[in-house]
Amino acid sequence: MNPTENKTFCASEIDASCRVPLLALFGGAALWLVAGLALGTAAVMTFHKPDMFADCPFLTFGRAQAAANDLLLYGFAMPAALGVMLWIFSRLSQSPLALPIVPVAAAHLWHLGVLIGTVAILTGESTGQTWLEYPRVAAVLLFAAFLLIAITAVATFGLRKARELFPSHWFLFAALLWFPWIYSTANLLLPFNHLPRGVVQPIIGWWFANNLIFVWLTLVGVGVAFYFLPKISGRPLTGYGYALFGFLTLVFFGSWVGIPQSAPVPAWLPTVSSVAAALAILPVLALALVVKKSACGAGVSCKGGPFCFIKFGMLGFVVSSVLYVSEFCPRYARVLDFTWFNFGVTQWQLLGFATMIFCGAIYEILPRVMEKDLPFPKLAKVSFFLLASGVLLYVLPLIIGGVEQGMKLHHANVPFAEASAVALKFLRISTTGQLLILLGALCLLLNIFVMTIHWKIGLLKQLIAAVTAPLESTEVKL
Amino acid sequence: MSCENSSCSASNGEPTATRSAAPMWIIVAALVILFVGGYYFDQHSGWFDPKVYAPYASGEKLSAYQPQSGEAAALAKGKAVYESVCGICHGSDGLGKPGQAPALAGSEWVVAKGFNRLAHIPLAGVNGPIQVAGKDWNMAMAAMGAALPDDSLAAVLTYIRGSWGNKASAVSADDIKKIRASMGGASVPCSCDQLKAMPE
Repeated sequence: MNPTENKTFCASEIDASCRVPLLALFGGAALWLVAGLALGTAAVMTFHKPDMFADCPFLTFGRAQAAANDLLLYGFAMPAALGVMLWIFSRLSQSPLALPIVPVAAAHLWHLGVLIGTVAILTGESTGQTWLEYPRVAAVLLFAAFLLIAITAVATFGLRKARELFPSHWFLFAALLWFPWIYSTANLLLPFNHLPRGVVQPIIGWWFANNLIFVWLTLVGVGVAFYFLPKISGRPLTGYGYALFGFLTLVFFGSWVGIPQSAPVPAWLPTVSSVAAALAILPVLALALVVKKSACGAGVSCKGGPFCFIKFGMLGFVVSSVLYVSEFCPRYARVLDFTWFNFGVTQWQLLGFATMIFCGAIYEILPRVMEKDLPFPKLAKVSFFLLASGVLLYVLPLIIGGVEQGMKLHHANVPFAEASAVALKFLRISTTGQLLILLGALCLLLNIFVMTIHWKIGLLKQLIAAVTAPLESTEVKL
Repeated sequence: MSCENSSCSASNGEPTATRSAAPMWIIVAALVILFVGGYYFDQHSGWFDPKVYAPYASGEKLSAYQPQSGEAAALAKGKAVYESVCGICHGSDGLGKPGQAPALAGSEWVVAKGFNRLAHIPLAGVNGPIQVAGKDWNMAMAAMGAALPDDSLAAVLTYIRGSWGNKASAVSADDIKKIRASMGGASVPCSCDQLKAMPE
């Protein structure tokens, strides 16, 4: 056996190997998060002051909302998830990151792809498919960058010494395989080639959206939470059996959900989707029980710290997943379709679940990776309360307003315009929530950027010191 | 740099999980949902039939709404006409009504080999005493079918000759047309004897 394989690495050494890739991934991610939230706020301005951006085609609702959603998912959630994943894999493998230069390059490719995609959407060059709006160049960049990071993650996974896998391994490894599969399939079938026509197109779109938002985000979000809950509380993860059951049922049944009840497609598709949605309650329940067993009574007083983020994120996971699944119950779907309800649930999944988990993870990882405390630790805690209250203020009105809108839409004596206008008062509240989330995201961005700048100044100082250092007397031999 | 020097802490604080089996209740819950889901699928899916869309749930239900052709179409049409024109007196079960109209089920007039006499009854009407299936009737039936188009009347006759246990041959619109022409526009109700005098 190679003697180096028995070497044990210290935590600081492992963390240091992740420093540059993680800074590249997280820095861009935080920037995109702020940009996405700002664009999302600009988009809903249509409902408050319709003529505000009337002369600015870039900020019309259709473009700004699509760009904002993509920024939250592809801009923030994905690179953040990948960065956290790399760190978790190298920590669990007890080994420094394999190929550390690859994810740095990949991070830049990724952010370039997001930039191109966002500009394309805002200038009207979107493909017009939900969650696949990015044009071909951007999609190829994202795909390549994901593969590069996945290769690094798998290589690091291969360096582990313990044969036994930790539950986070299953979730995160599945996520590594899941995204390339769905993203390439959906892109090749829809915006690239337009192969299927008619009824098949929306079916692929719904399949992709469900696999991306429900399955993929759950895989990464839960995988990350299952690492940090025991890590921060210092107790082992309880409920292994529930976790295994939840993982398998999620992977098995989760991907069948997604075809709405009102879809104009053969009846068996929504029917299968409904049955799968009923079964998808099981993984949500099982994973929620693991979180409950591991987080409750852990004795961690978080006060806005990473543990709070993870707990709030997992609470968001359970509630938003139950609401999501209820969209496929025929009885409720008839009322909830074509309202703000579905939008609210998607935003909850994106912001209240994924973003909370990854923000918490970033706040937990950054000081370790940089071997330095956060520059504004108080802002980090404030950002928890801003994000948490913002998410609730943002999504709850949309969900409640959606239900009311749906009931009015179903009422024969209420005209359509009146049913739609019901949502306005709810939108007013939800925009306040959006602004709070935006402030919270700014706190994250500030922490990461100031930290990066400190680090770069430190590097520069080291460089100057190395150049200007006087030669040691031993070297000066006369 | 490795951990031989004691100044650096090894990354041994990694989280662990104690192995345990999935509890029985959640597996039972999964099986229950699978069972109920299977029943729901059976009731609503149309079993992957690409032609079945909601709110219809099966190919059979769907085909019941389709326009039909051939013999089935004639029978369906005959049934519809029968129920709106004849069934009021003769009953939708073809058993007739006491004192009002004789039974058509098992009536020798209906299931006779030929349908010439039978066709004259709705075309001209019947008047006077007549024996139907062993019962004596004193009839006054108007020419209920005289106003029906040929194909509708043919469909009704086909229907009553082929329903409620009757098994006689079908009647075509052309046959009705010929019988109508042979009557030469006469619409005086026939008596039993007149009917018997006609060819079958």
